[in-house]
Amino acid sequence: MYIKLIFKNAKRSARDYLVYIVTLTICATLFYSFLSVSSRYYKPDIGSDYKFTLLGDSMKLAICTVTLILLFLIWFVNNYMLRCRQKEFAVQAILGMEAKTIGRLFFAETFVMGICAVGLGIVLGVVSSQFVTAMLLTAYGKSYQPTWTFFPDTVLLTLFFFVLIFLVAGLFHMRTIQKTKVIDMLLADRENEPDLRKSHWIHVVVILFELFLLLMLVVGVEKLYFYYDSRYPFLVQTMFWGNILIPAAALVWSFVWLLRKIFSKSNVHFHTLLRGLILFCVPNTFIAASVPSLMHRYYLPLGIGTRNQYLLFVLVDLLFFLCGIIFLAGSFLLAWKEQSPTHKYHEENLFFFGQVISKLNTTSKTMTLVSITLVLAIFLFIAAPVLVNWAMGYLDSRSMYDIQIFSHYNNVHEESDLPHDDYGTVTKLLMDQGIETVYDCTFHLYLPEKKAFHNRMKYDFPAVAISLQDYNAIRCMLGLSEITLEENEFTTQWHAAATDDERRQFLETHQTVTTDAGLLRCAKQAYHQEPMGGTLYNSYTNVLYVFPDAACDTLLPVMQNRYLMTAKTIPYENAHSFEQEFTAVYPEETATGVHYGIRLRTLQVNETKGTCFVLQAAMLYGAIVLMVICLTVLSLQQLLDAGHYRYRFSVLRSLGVEESKIEKLVLKQLGVWFGLPVTAAIVVAVVVISYFMQTISVEISAYIGFPALLSQMGLTVGILVLLLICYFISTWILFRHSARLGTGNN
Amino acid sequence: MTTILKLEHIQKYYGSEGSITQAIRDISFGVEQGEFLGIMGTSGSGKTTLLNCISTIDTVSAGHIYLEGTDVTALKPKSLARFRRENLGFVFQDFNLLDTLTISENIALALTINKVPARAVDSRVSDIAKKLNITDILHKYPYQVSGGQKQRCACARAIVNNPKLLLADEPTGALDSHSSQMLLSTMQSIHEQLHTTILMVTHDAFTASYADRILFLQDGKIFTELHKGTDSRTDFFHKILNVLTVMGGGQSHVY
Repeated sequence: MYIKLIFKNAKRSARDYLVYIVTLTICATLFYSFLSVSSRYYKPDIGSDYKFTLLGDSMKLAICTVTLILLFLIWFVNNYMLRCRQKEFAVQAILGMEAKTIGRLFFAETFVMGICAVGLGIVLGVVSSQFVTAMLLTAYGKSYQPTWTFFPDTVLLTLFFFVLIFLVAGLFHMRTIQKTKVIDMLLADRENEPDLRKSHWIHVVVILFELFLLLMLVVGVEKLYFYYDSRYPFLVQTMFWGNILIPAAALVWSFVWLLRKIFSKSNVHFHTLLRGLILFCVPNTFIAASVPSLMHRYYLPLGIGTRNQYLLFVLVDLLFFLCGIIFLAGSFLLAWKEQSPTHKYHEENLFFFGQVISKLNTTSKTMTLVSITLVLAIFLFIAAPVLVNWAMGYLDSRSMYDIQIFSHYNNVHEESDLPHDDYGTVTKLLMDQGIETVYDCTFHLYLPEKKAFHNRMKYDFPAVAISLQDYNAIRCMLGLSEITLEENEFTTQWHAAATDDERRQFLETHQTVTTDAGLLRCAKQAYHQEPMGGTLYNSYTNVLYVFPDAACDTLLPVMQNRYLMTAKTIPYENAHSFEQEFTAVYPEETATGVHYGIRLRTLQVNETKGTCFVLQAAMLYGAIVLMVICLTVLSLQQLLDAGHYRYRFSVLRSLGVEESKIEKLVLKQLGVWFGLPVTAAIVVAVVVISYFMQTISVEISAYIGFPALLSQMGLTVGILVLLLICYFISTWILFRHSARLGTGNN
Repeated sequence: MTTILKLEHIQKYYGSEGSITQAIRDISFGVEQGEFLGIMGTSGSGKTTLLNCISTIDTVSAGHIYLEGTDVTALKPKSLARFRRENLGFVFQDFNLLDTLTISENIALALTINKVPARAVDSRVSDIAKKLNITDILHKYPYQVSGGQKQRCACARAIVNNPKLLLADEPTGALDSHSSQMLLSTMQSIHEQLHTTILMVTHDAFTASYADRILFLQDGKIFTELHKGTDSRTDFFHKILNVLTVMGGGQSHVY
């Protein structure tokens, strides 16, 4: 009998929770698809150059961690279902059913629905895992062939993981049912008026924001005390003072409000304080955001810690802005309504305002959480391709040679300790492993002036020089044409990350260079910017001098590199053992202070592509999961309150409002309900993303390119809009259905 | 006196072939302009079905209903809503107020739906609130006022558009005796001062005693009719009890 009851209830609930079931199915589909990559039966044809198993564990960890967010959705939906079904539980309890049994029946019902969704998700996952395989093979530069494989270990893992989540949420709700009194459950549906009293969460948020302002003020004063210099440009001075004055002004405002609240006889409203803080929050965000930008622009010696601290401040400001705006949205609307009788008394507007304001007042916390989560989802969507393309672009400039061996002198304090080795061990290792080389170039990098040897401040490192012969050998290796230099002439080679401004400024001030071999003047072709890898430059510099061979003979060689091109790509296993054997002879840290390093293209490509794939998969999966969770919560909040809406629309009908107008009201109401958090999230996300882009604009132009980035962003926005439209339309259809059920129920 | 509402041979069936329930068998009567008509009957006698048919919320299976000469049974579904808002006012047992609007806004909504100009709304709301003595609670939400006040607000909303016919379905059903008495006094004053035609469905003899005339329904037909005439309300109340006793449904009121 109980089993029959469970299945009947699950069948009945399925229609009401259609959106939730669809969301669970989507999540299970994605979960299975992405995890199929980590199956031990998964053997994609990516060649012997790559080792794929390394990817599996990271993938499992990333996807499972992201999926834990689903626990919130399942908890939220079950909680809602619980509230809607309380009267039914009370009747069951009155009939003599034990609270434990009622709880178990409820759990079994939600479990049946959940498992059906997960089962369907796995079936769909088999199909969609093809997309993941295609994505993976594209990442490894291989062509895609469909392979229809069913992975039993992934199926088990998917089932295990979702069952675990259902169990956790189920246990919590079973406990709630057991603890609720029968009389409370019986009378639950009599509370048909929403509780218009607001919860105190915003007060907590305001107190936390006040503490944050205090922290910002203290940090601002500290930075001014230690780093301020009156010779700084006006913008930097504004930044220093702004980061003190704005938080201080906001704190003064709060203090004045508090005094008025205590001593004034008139009613001093909390909204006044909140509005003021939101107004201060806007300039506060800009002034905090200016710190990392100005640090970058003027090379301010504030340190990476300060930059991260201020990035965090920007984030806190934006979050507070979002909380405040959504919390006050109801009161803004109320004020507008009261000031505009024409709008207020226009046909059914009164009803519409009532619906929206009451919903905003009672659910502003959920709305805020949804908005914040949406911001995160949008950011992940946009950041995933940016970061992946950045890493992939950087990979191209990093792995220009099959083998790169390099050294740094950062910790060498005696000239006698500088490396003078031709890396003979490497030659032996190559022979042992049977690796045939096509190009092999061992060369020194020189200091133009010996006296700069001890310049070890970050921004004080000298650019090093290479001899023309070695430079041409490397160009030849990369398939570039050779260059020539007159006697006493020099030219420059630039790193891909260097900006045009940086290069122009440098060349303007370096028309001649003083070297230990005499004065050299800049050649007609003053610079070359073909990518030649990052190990060709000194630490913290983006430029390399190219000097005539004769000049280099008298200079101090400080670094020694060796670049090799092999006849065939080195297989992964060989590359791995090669790296280990090299590191055994040339460790990263040596007694003399010389730092040695080796980069093998096979390992670099393997590691970067693998990491990028996991990063991209986890970020996209996370973004979609967060997005569908938000949309599901928005949708369910409307659909599960159908009882209230049925009643309200039936009142409208009895007052003589036509069905067509009720339909319009439904559409308007859903428009606001979906539109407000989505718009708020988009506004904040645009600010965050613009700032993010501005911060890494150099890397974007160097490794990705803005047109490629814009097309990626276009695709992302397309997916977001598609998801939004799908959820909106399905909610609209289901809502209309619920609202129509009210006809004749008067 | 003119007949404002006329019902001719109304029948209403529910269900399909084989299991048909006859809610209303054959009812005909008229309501005069400015009359306060009560409809009484036991549960299942068809009184609420009759009210739903008159109010166009439900359709008849046979017969005609005329309101000021308009056959409402012949109205197209699209024009029903407009007909309702222009001609009828409703008072329900469970108030049917919107919990998201204040009392004042609940009344104003009936006006705005009828496209009353925005500048006239506030004054009309305050006028009707004065008449029904609810001025003090206009700014409150329904959940902040008592049941009697809610029902007076529902009355105000129902008559603010000066409907041709005010339909009340068990208006005192959810109220205590004191609130019921206050509401009925209010309805009586609406009837007497504003000359509103009222059709009230109730199963309570005390409530019914406020009407001018009472139709008693039994098993979907009119059992009998009672006129108040020059009787006092107490005498009329006793007459109602007698009829209920005869009908067999009023014993509980006697003992």
